[in-house]
Amino acid sequence: MVPSTGIVRWLYSCLFALTLGGCSSWEINELANNLPAAGPAATLKHLEARSNKGLDRVQVLLDKGVLKFYTGDLDGAIADLELAKSLMQSLDATSFTENIAAVTTNETLRSYKGSATDHTMVHVILALAYLFNNDLNGARVEMLQADLTMKRQSQQDSLQGQLASARFLAGVIFELNQEYSDALIAYRHAYQILTHRGESIPQALQVMLLRLTQRLGLESEFDEFQRQFGASEPPYQRHKIDYLMVYFDGVVSNKTEARLSVASGNTMVSIAVPSYPSNRYYPKRFSLQSETGRHTSQIIENLELRAREDLEADKVKIVATATARAVAKNQFVQNSQEQSPWLGLLANVITVVSEQADIRSWNMLPSAIQVARLSTQPNTELSIPEQGIQLPPINSESLSHTSNLVVIWTSDLVTQSYIYPVNSPPPMGAFNANQP
Amino acid sequence: MKQFLILAALVLVAACSTSVKRIDPQETTDLSGAWNDSDSRLVAEEMISDALSRPWIQNYRQQHNESPAVIVGTVRNLSHEHINTNTFVADMERALINSGSVDFVASKTEREEIRDERIDQDLNASEATRNAAGQELGADFMLQGQINTIVDVEGKKQVRYYQVDLTLISLADNRKVWLGQKKIKKFIKNASVRF
Repeated sequence: MVPSTGIVRWLYSCLFALTLGGCSSWEINELANNLPAAGPAATLKHLEARSNKGLDRVQVLLDKGVLKFYTGDLDGAIADLELAKSLMQSLDATSFTENIAAVTTNETLRSYKGSATDHTMVHVILALAYLFNNDLNGARVEMLQADLTMKRQSQQDSLQGQLASARFLAGVIFELNQEYSDALIAYRHAYQILTHRGESIPQALQVMLLRLTQRLGLESEFDEFQRQFGASEPPYQRHKIDYLMVYFDGVVSNKTEARLSVASGNTMVSIAVPSYPSNRYYPKRFSLQSETGRHTSQIIENLELRAREDLEADKVKIVATATARAVAKNQFVQNSQEQSPWLGLLANVITVVSEQADIRSWNMLPSAIQVARLSTQPNTELSIPEQGIQLPPINSESLSHTSNLVVIWTSDLVTQSYIYPVNSPPPMGAFNANQP
Repeated sequence: MKQFLILAALVLVAACSTSVKRIDPQETTDLSGAWNDSDSRLVAEEMISDALSRPWIQNYRQQHNESPAVIVGTVRNLSHEHINTNTFVADMERALINSGSVDFVASKTEREEIRDERIDQDLNASEATRNAAGQELGADFMLQGQINTIVDVEGKKQVRYYQVDLTLISLADNRKVWLGQKKIKKFIKNASVRF
């Protein structure tokens, strides 16, 4: 029996629609792959041309937000990331229709709601955007929200969604607000996360811990940290200016598809799951240099590892859904074959082609967040030699309303940097408070 | 069957289209559970009414034979939410002015604009209509404050506790003449399932 042309047309339409969904993920991944070569501005232009609706909305908003942050559009970055954040929260609820679609067709028919790391990282990028937009209170709000997000995500013996970089940045923001006890608590959290993961403690965090324990008169804790870090330099000197550089290195890897196809009689069964290629991240270092010394950046958050850990944590659920889907699709093909061999063949093609792994991720984040810290006398010239950026001398009066901390952000994807407080003299090639 | 499909399509179209409904600004509409216009208005009205019913105002009138002049300073947002404190400050200004019990002084930014206008009047306005500089009413008290939150989260449930603290400080001698506190507690339960 030959199937009616209506059914065939309908099956072709399904095939076309499903293929389009998959193409969209590959297209965004391709943009992320080309980001180091094309640069954030050109990549953003391509992404802006895309529709801001549909199941990938959160992913597109997150990617656009971080690209706008790179290009100096801080207001735009804040708007996109705040929207993404609220959508991610509302998507936390389980969807009936999306679950059915994921079990019968593929995982890309679920709305992208971000990984555990994404949920915390959105606060990190927002905090930086607020800070360099000269809104310290806004940055503080983000760090309080990050604390809630991490508490909500914390499970026994799991560090999923717990980011040392978020804790460290919270400490910096509390310090800028002169809330030294809260800052120390946040630095301690960052230290604990890194220790639990067996990752090294960057020198910038070591100094922050020593400085605050000394400042707050916690002698035994100070001695313990000093013994661990083997620090020789006096950590807190009232009249010195502390420069902290936050450096975004590279672009995080994309997910790829791992496919397993098995022929069973007249039927082909295919299972596709997301995976990451082996981690080939090789850190590039930036440094802060003054006439008296040079401090090289060190990794505080390896987002390549965090992305892989998130996928690993979700793997059981993904494989279970893929197995249930394979059974459902096989049943559908069998039923179609019983009606007509042609319909069975077409159904089999559709079930194989529609089997697509969900390879969506916040893939325009950096591979790693690095930090470096340098303490200098006021009016000292400072530079970031790898980028040819010269930081003009800063005197204590420029910092009268904050602690003696100056925060600089830069990335290997841009030739500019941000500086806070923005009333301190801008570095060469710096963004202004609001616009590049 | 056909009729049912048409009806279903109509329902779907109606559900997808944007709808706008005007509501009374005084009406409390809680969507996300975050700090909203109703919280801002109610806290401002209650706190100012409390401030104006306390002895400091009577004491001042007895000593000076006139109403005190008040200015609203900074209200810091130390909460977990991006709260626009400008609307809260505006609500307090409105409640203070409408009470008629105190004189109210323009804020720092408003004063700057007015001073610019006065300078302009000096150059361009006629002698009869010109307003002289140096005649401003100085404030006797400044109202400052902060909004704090404590948030407790467990799964989809959340308790948000807001505490608004306001302090009225005498500009003459830094005395704190009134301390106000207003607390709001909200229990928020986020949806577990969606369509």
